[in-house]
Amino acid sequence: MIPYNRIWLDALLTRDAALDWHRQGLFSDEKWQVVQARHVVHFYSPNVFVRIGLAIFTLILLLAGVGLGGLILDADSVEGFALLCFFYGLILLAALEMWAIGSARHFGSGVDDMLLYFGTSMLLGSVYLLLPYNTGVLTYACLTLPFLVAGSIRYLDRLLAAAAFVCLLVVVLLAARETPRLALYILPFAGMLTAAGTYFFAQYGQRRYDWRYWHGVLVVLELLALVFFYVSGNYWVVQQAGAAWFQLEQVPLAWFFWAFTFAVPVAYIFWGLRQKDRLLLDVGLACVAVAVFTFRAYFHVMPLAWAAVIGGVLLFATAYLSIRYLKKSGGAYTYDAAADQSLLQEIEQQLLAQHLAHQQSQTPTLGDSFGGGQFGGGGADGKF
Amino acid sequence: MRPYILRDLLRQELLTPEDAAKIEQFESAKPFSLHWELKTLLYLGVILLNLGLGFLIYQNIDTVGHAVLIALIGAAGAGCFWYAIRHRQPFSAGETESPTPYYDYILLLGCFLFLIMEGYAQFQYQIFGTRYGLATFLPMVLFFGLAYRLDNRGVLSLGITALASWLGLAVTPRELLSNNDFNSASIVHAGVFLGATLSIVPFVSERLHFKKHFSLTYLNFGVHIGMISCLAGMMALDQRVLYFPLLCLAVGFFIWYARTRHSLYFLTVAVVYGYIGVTYMLFHFVRDMDFLFYLLYFILSSTGVIIFLMNNKRFTKTDAP
Repeated sequence: MIPYNRIWLDALLTRDAALDWHRQGLFSDEKWQVVQARHVVHFYSPNVFVRIGLAIFTLILLLAGVGLGGLILDADSVEGFALLCFFYGLILLAALEMWAIGSARHFGSGVDDMLLYFGTSMLLGSVYLLLPYNTGVLTYACLTLPFLVAGSIRYLDRLLAAAAFVCLLVVVLLAARETPRLALYILPFAGMLTAAGTYFFAQYGQRRYDWRYWHGVLVVLELLALVFFYVSGNYWVVQQAGAAWFQLEQVPLAWFFWAFTFAVPVAYIFWGLRQKDRLLLDVGLACVAVAVFTFRAYFHVMPLAWAAVIGGVLLFATAYLSIRYLKKSGGAYTYDAAADQSLLQEIEQQLLAQHLAHQQSQTPTLGDSFGGGQFGGGGADGKF
Repeated sequence: MRPYILRDLLRQELLTPEDAAKIEQFESAKPFSLHWELKTLLYLGVILLNLGLGFLIYQNIDTVGHAVLIALIGAAGAGCFWYAIRHRQPFSAGETESPTPYYDYILLLGCFLFLIMEGYAQFQYQIFGTRYGLATFLPMVLFFGLAYRLDNRGVLSLGITALASWLGLAVTPRELLSNNDFNSASIVHAGVFLGATLSIVPFVSERLHFKKHFSLTYLNFGVHIGMISCLAGMMALDQRVLYFPLLCLAVGFFIWYARTRHSLYFLTVAVVYGYIGVTYMLFHFVRDMDFLFYLLYFILSSTGVIIFLMNNKRFTKTDAP
């Protein structure tokens, strides 16, 4: 089912675990050497920057290729164009299988990613072109879903999996909206049920040993499911959807959705800490911010500036006290950095550096007369 | 999944049962790290405070309470710097560890509050009059001083941005393209000069063994400011004879750097900027060709770049320092 070499995929998993244990000092140097020698991986998986560069240039190459194909074959009807797209997609996927994965042994190199995305888009494009122009979004979504699911399963691709989940959600929500009379009541719960189902599926899948290659894909699904479960019941989302689709002033069951808006983040954080589930905890923390924004969208209890100051002090104090507590008596929790976070931390460092630079530049530059909302910390211009 | 891997390694006799037991024990008892979450909260707290206080001062100018507010912000800023100085590590030319987990964030907050106060003082009392250069020069000196003394790369970034605004440039990733008037020759010249300077500083500091770990911060600013300024010189100022060779020089420099230091980031960035420059020159000088010609150019050139990037291992030196 997977075109990638399974022995190498397994070797990657083993190396990951062994490296972690080696870093923790549970694995001697010689043993780590032996494990590396026994579990050789011949994939071409370059560093993330080269991956981005390769993806950019592969995209340029493929776009120019499409242009060239169109120029030579000179398709002038919609059907001809659809056929062209179809063949182009097939050729790209064949190139992906035979050359990129087969002989060049690419795995997450940017080239194979881009071939997959572009090839899938071409196939989808050919299908779309053949549909009558007044086809509804639901039909498009239904036709797209199998391609995305198949692609994410066969090529272990996380982006396609994410797209497939969003597509599934679109299908469910649009179908629910068509329900006569009850649509309004069904919609939020349909979203929640889909998300919850996906969540438990992803959890189940991550426990299965024979699904181990899809671990990353399932983690992405789990993350999205958590986010969309909260979004489905968030008061602001429900109110806006009700106003846009059903011209409703007042949300039915308002008390329920308000309770949901505040209870779910707390529950996420509580269970995340309790189960030591990082994903649940992080999504919960993000949801708290969303809940605050939701509340502020309806009740203006405090000017924005004061809210930001108080919020900042609260956040800082919470973190400060938690770190102090953890340093003194951690127990099952710790402030020491875990080894498995290196990538996240790197990204955070990057974001931090960029943000810092942005903060500073809010101060006046040459020729600015220090007026307007530009001075000091900014914020007055609503860019954040 | 880990238990399966452990069993597998045991079966292959890569592990002794005692080791396996130790690992099993570790896996079941390993503490849950909240490091990343708490650091993010600290950072968000600082950002929110900066936004809120900056906005608050702006709103409350000319009201009764604003003197109190100013005094409070000034006191808070002074408190932050006091904390930073009290808990400082002894100076070292190398890298030093932060004395406390919150240290970097408190120092950062101090710097932000300083900027707020400075902006306020200028707005209300025009302490710098029309000498705007001084208004950016002062924080620049302060931030560079703090960054080197207290060994903080975040403050160093603030200092570099202040240096750039002193020269008249906005250099944050979001503003580099949108907030600069690249049609003005002086901005382009300042950008090229700044890019070159920032790219040279790391080599001097490496030679002197002085704060070598600041290199990446300098180079990261240097590469983008320098290359974008060169491209702007080519495209907006129409001075291709001057700026295209400069761009080639810069690309060559960073590819050389990537080759000797194994930095794939600078390799990719240099290749992308170089490709933009070459493509622009081609489109400018080879006009009125068949559409096919341009398509073939893109196909052949991007294939070439892909092959080059894929073979970067063969290209980078393996015996680098």
